[in-house]
Amino acid sequence: MPKAETAPDGGGAFAALRGQLQDAAERFADAPGAAAEILAGMVDDVDRALAEELEIFPVCHHSPSSALAMARRLREKRPKVVYLELCEDMRPLLDELRNCRLPVALQAFASDIDGFDKEWAPLSVVAPITEASAEYQAIAYALETPDVELVAVDWSTDHLFQWEEDDPASRKNRKAKKADEPKASGSGSGAGAGSGGEAEEPDEDGDDEALHGDAVGVELGELRPGFAELEEHLLHHGRVRHWSEWWDQYVEQPLSGAGYDAYRQVMLLVGSLFRRLRDTGDLARSEERERYMWTRMRQHMAASGTEPGDALYVCGALHAASRVEQFGARSDAPYEIAEPTKTRWLYGLIPSSHSAIEAQFGLAQGSVSIAAATWQKALKLSGVAPFRLAGQKGTTRKSPKAAPISAGPTEDRLSGFLTTPPEAGELDEEELLAWSVDIVRLARRNGYLASTADAIAIVETSVLLAGMRGRNRPTPYDFQDAAVTCIEKDAVPGRRDVRRLCEILLGGDRVGQVGYHALPPLAQNVLDRLEPLGLDLTKRTVQRALLDLRSEPHLRACSDVLWMLRRLLPDGTVRPIMGSRALGERSVQESWDLALGRDQRWLVELGYEGVTIEQVLEQRLRRAAWASGATASTALAAVEDALVLLGSRRFVDELGARAVELLAAERTVDDAPEVLRRVRRLLAHYRASEPELPAWCKEFVTEGYAHYCTLLPTAFTDEETGVRQVAAMLGFLFGMESLALSLGCDHAQLEIAVAQAHPELPGKVALLWAARLQLGTLSRAELRARCDEMLGNPLVVPAFPRYLSGFVQALEPVPTLAPFVVEVMSKAFGTLPDHVLLPWLPRLVMTLREQAAELVPVLTREAGRTFPGSLPALDAWTPPWTAAAPEPGPGPSGRSSVPAGPVAELLAAHPAACDAVAALFGLEPTWQAAAPAPASGAASGLVERHPEAAGALAALLGA
Amino acid sequence: MTDGMLRAPAEVKYADELDYLESVDDGPKPFSWRLSPKMVRTFVLGSERGDGLDREIPQKWFGDRTFVERSIVTLASDRGLLLIGDPGTGKSWLAELLAAAVSRNSTLVVQGTAGTTEDHIKYSWNVSMVIAKGQSRESMIPSPIMTAMERGVIGRFEELTRSTSDVQDALISILSEKYVSIPELDDDNTVFAKPGFSIIATANSRDRGVNDLSSALKRRFNFVRIPVVTNKRSEAEIVRFRTTELLRRHRIELEVPPTLLDILLQSFADLRTAAAAATSDDEKLESALSTAEQIGVLEDAILHSRFFGDDTLRATTLASSLVGSLARRSPEDLAILNKFWHGVVEGRSKKEGGEWKGFLEGGREAIATLS
Repeated sequence: MPKAETAPDGGGAFAALRGQLQDAAERFADAPGAAAEILAGMVDDVDRALAEELEIFPVCHHSPSSALAMARRLREKRPKVVYLELCEDMRPLLDELRNCRLPVALQAFASDIDGFDKEWAPLSVVAPITEASAEYQAIAYALETPDVELVAVDWSTDHLFQWEEDDPASRKNRKAKKADEPKASGSGSGAGAGSGGEAEEPDEDGDDEALHGDAVGVELGELRPGFAELEEHLLHHGRVRHWSEWWDQYVEQPLSGAGYDAYRQVMLLVGSLFRRLRDTGDLARSEERERYMWTRMRQHMAASGTEPGDALYVCGALHAASRVEQFGARSDAPYEIAEPTKTRWLYGLIPSSHSAIEAQFGLAQGSVSIAAATWQKALKLSGVAPFRLAGQKGTTRKSPKAAPISAGPTEDRLSGFLTTPPEAGELDEEELLAWSVDIVRLARRNGYLASTADAIAIVETSVLLAGMRGRNRPTPYDFQDAAVTCIEKDAVPGRRDVRRLCEILLGGDRVGQVGYHALPPLAQNVLDRLEPLGLDLTKRTVQRALLDLRSEPHLRACSDVLWMLRRLLPDGTVRPIMGSRALGERSVQESWDLALGRDQRWLVELGYEGVTIEQVLEQRLRRAAWASGATASTALAAVEDALVLLGSRRFVDELGARAVELLAAERTVDDAPEVLRRVRRLLAHYRASEPELPAWCKEFVTEGYAHYCTLLPTAFTDEETGVRQVAAMLGFLFGMESLALSLGCDHAQLEIAVAQAHPELPGKVALLWAARLQLGTLSRAELRARCDEMLGNPLVVPAFPRYLSGFVQALEPVPTLAPFVVEVMSKAFGTLPDHVLLPWLPRLVMTLREQAAELVPVLTREAGRTFPGSLPALDAWTPPWTAAAPEPGPGPSGRSSVPAGPVAELLAAHPAACDAVAALFGLEPTWQAAAPAPASGAASGLVERHPEAAGALAALLGA
Repeated sequence: MTDGMLRAPAEVKYADELDYLESVDDGPKPFSWRLSPKMVRTFVLGSERGDGLDREIPQKWFGDRTFVERSIVTLASDRGLLLIGDPGTGKSWLAELLAAAVSRNSTLVVQGTAGTTEDHIKYSWNVSMVIAKGQSRESMIPSPIMTAMERGVIGRFEELTRSTSDVQDALISILSEKYVSIPELDDDNTVFAKPGFSIIATANSRDRGVNDLSSALKRRFNFVRIPVVTNKRSEAEIVRFRTTELLRRHRIELEVPPTLLDILLQSFADLRTAAAAATSDDEKLESALSTAEQIGVLEDAILHSRFFGDDTLRATTLASSLVGSLARRSPEDLAILNKFWHGVVEGRSKKEGGEWKGFLEGGREAIATLS
């Protein structure tokens, strides 16, 4: 094992380098002190980290050279314990990785928060893992090699948020982020957390980029300049565009062929530099974590008796060069680890993708894909056999081969690295040619007019660009620029532009998948229950499921599950193409588009809420009904969902009772139309399917009757309340009246309420008239007279359309008004002057469409009945109202005869009962002669011809 | 040398720098280029300490470095370069700088208009000479593009999409065969392009629909899209750079206070945000709000203060220049500016005070005068 026999005072292997750096510092800076301190300090840091007994392995995330060095080192050293910079509570998840296709993200999730700001809920932390990473190498080695222990030593997710809470800067960040981030993620879960240090906001939301939602990202091996100016400076002078490109060119490429010593020294140096140039807040956070990690490692070593020499500590290069007192296996600086809060954390794996990682950690688009491609290439070139978890899906497994072993005392590899310009490998002409041909083909397939000439131009341009940027081999970035230059014209013909196509070509976005066994119980349960469909739901494509429920009744259970999933998952994941389910509605055939494989994340996150989807659905419905902003209509919606999807009587009753409670507490009637619609539907459902209405329904009707009666007068006068709302209230009152009265309500309450109403708006006045018509306090003739008078009065005419709108709305509570509305409307069209009528017509159409769509059919049907159907008939047609108007009409009292029939006969035969009722009302009973009964009707003729049925019925009734 | 010229072309104006760069340039030069690609980049984007040059080369074009690199590389390749972008994004300036750096001649320009004919691209005849001597190479008037071909230098074509399709198509053979034949002549009737010849065309992306390029021509050009500068810092640099140049041209000694420059940039940024949020053209200013327009506003304000004011640039003058330059349609533009002034500028003046107050007053007055 390489050991540096040096003290940090300036001697040892790095003495020459130290001197050189100091010289440089003095030459460049005006204030030699500060710069010299940083430069010399860097060498000290490297020195100290190398001298540590516990071997520190500095890594950088998404760095193939880190991964390569890791694979080499692990084969060479074979450590017995691997300490990993990873949230310690995520350790158990790592065993599940072998069931997944990478990249996936480890997720910790908490919606049940205790100890943090409640506003943060739900908390979600993700740690993505890719195949081309050093941490995966370490994990695979430790899990696949017997007797090797893998210990995650970083803050637990709980500690992570504890720091956030204590850190005012983070808090402020989080608040600000919350404020300008109103988007709720899909199912309503997974929303929440931003963080100060490690996560960056995704720039744009692509399909796969949104895979992590807005979880806080943590990753192993964060290595990036802590402040923007340094990064900008490095990019500017490196003549590169992105941080990833800089890293690739100046560290990654030169290191990929370097030995372990050089690798380690360079990474330590870079880590130390970035650490020293960090702002203090960030540094404090890093140091706190380092104290934690070192303490945990020492605790583990003490408990298990591990020798520091047998272990390997894998951490980000930034943490490797730590200067905290707790640093070192032999340090005894005390550090107290805080207790976790009572927050209940849940853990799972969710699929991740290269683009999601790039978006979350602010990397250049395509850089993770390029890293993956570089990793594959480096493996091929170097002959290093990577570690893989057995059973891991993805690339093929190669047989391990012994790697060259390097050992010896610490040598200064840094000076060479620092003084030579980045030397990349020889120009890989074959690769470049292949890329160029492929990109042209790909571009052509995507609608570009690209040809072989373009392929030639791309090769030429890439080489020229690389030359201009001082590289002797075009990097993927040069190639990308060249392709854009040569192929991209003024417009993008298809869905993807050339830049995106290049990314696809260079490995493309890879989306991970969580295997069945690594899924939470709920997701497994769902997949099990959907098994009868016979589809492979783990596929990433959208799959069509066809359910013929009549011929295959066993699929009914699947259908139930699908409808529940549709209610729970965001749109598009489970989508019915044919078939519907609502109260009293069940399809015999259904077809579905299922994208459960693609949208695994949602299913996994659903798994945090419960063990079965029924349970989750129940919880969600309960939450909706008991939420602080819940209204009677939301509660009724929950009732409906519970009835349709869950069918649990007890739960429905509970939700119904809550709806009653909410209705009684409501002070506005904004929701009245919705309430009316829903309660009507529910009543219809119960009447059709159950012998008796449930108790809550009765209560709702009586409570609603009283409630709306109370609010009616104010609603009529209140300007805020719309005509539609009042119409819905009246609809409730009139429509439910018979039921309400049978349940003990008092009709007088309604009469008084209507009498108290004194609306001023024309629409509401019309409603009131309709209400009075229904109550019988206003006759149709009177109403007609009022309307005619209005139409005759030029001062009122301009307001008439608004009255008419009121009448149309009144169809809801008083459906019998339809003929009258047609009449008034016809009159209006006939008599209103054009300057009133024409501007109003579009508004009428709009109002009808927006607010009274369900009333239009009633109106048109009535109009169809009233108006003649053919042109010739029109000439002879007189409107029924003008025909009816001249004759005074016999009136209710003037009726000369009553229709004959069995009823009249029965009453005439037994007059006692009617006489008694009349006497009770204080009336003189008078009996009219019934008109002669029709001698023969079709019905009586039929009965006469076939008397057997009637005889049998009579016998049955015992007559 | 720049004396007597209202505006010297880049190769004249920066002759010193170009001479110097040529003298220190040891990189490989394609064809007959006067500078190597790296030096061309240095000329356009300015030098850095790491370049190891004895004198500092100031930055002349501000924008993403990749655009410049891609442009230079295109010129070294077989294809023409088409710079495309919104008006005022510095396309022509970049074209001029590139032509000056590569071939020390940026004046071989054809301006594309609706009236541009094929003669402007190929050649025409000196009628009196043809009558006197007949058709010969002497009586032929070569176009700037043909001249560029003969000399092996860069020719420029401004506003390519403004010229009609048949004129554009005349470029196709020039770009692919690299020669122009003159059928009127019996011998010596082909002009071959010398190595180093290429074309830099510019096109306005807003006019794209006027005379869209044929796909045959598109194939022969590499497109480099120059976006509108939205980065405030680089925009400030551009405005400062161009204004200094303009002031020098007018021989005006006048200091532009940084606060005023900030106000100008901020107002444009605000106006752009407002334009982006607008739903119809009536809610948008007609102006594209480009960087060039900011320079125009500033120039206008400076000239105004120089000749009608007291030689100091004031916020009120700047405001009235801004209103004057941007209010093109009445009443739409004025209404938008009025709304902007009362909604945004007033808010800023209350919050930030300082020069914003004068800016608010000046703008109000200008709007009142114009309405």
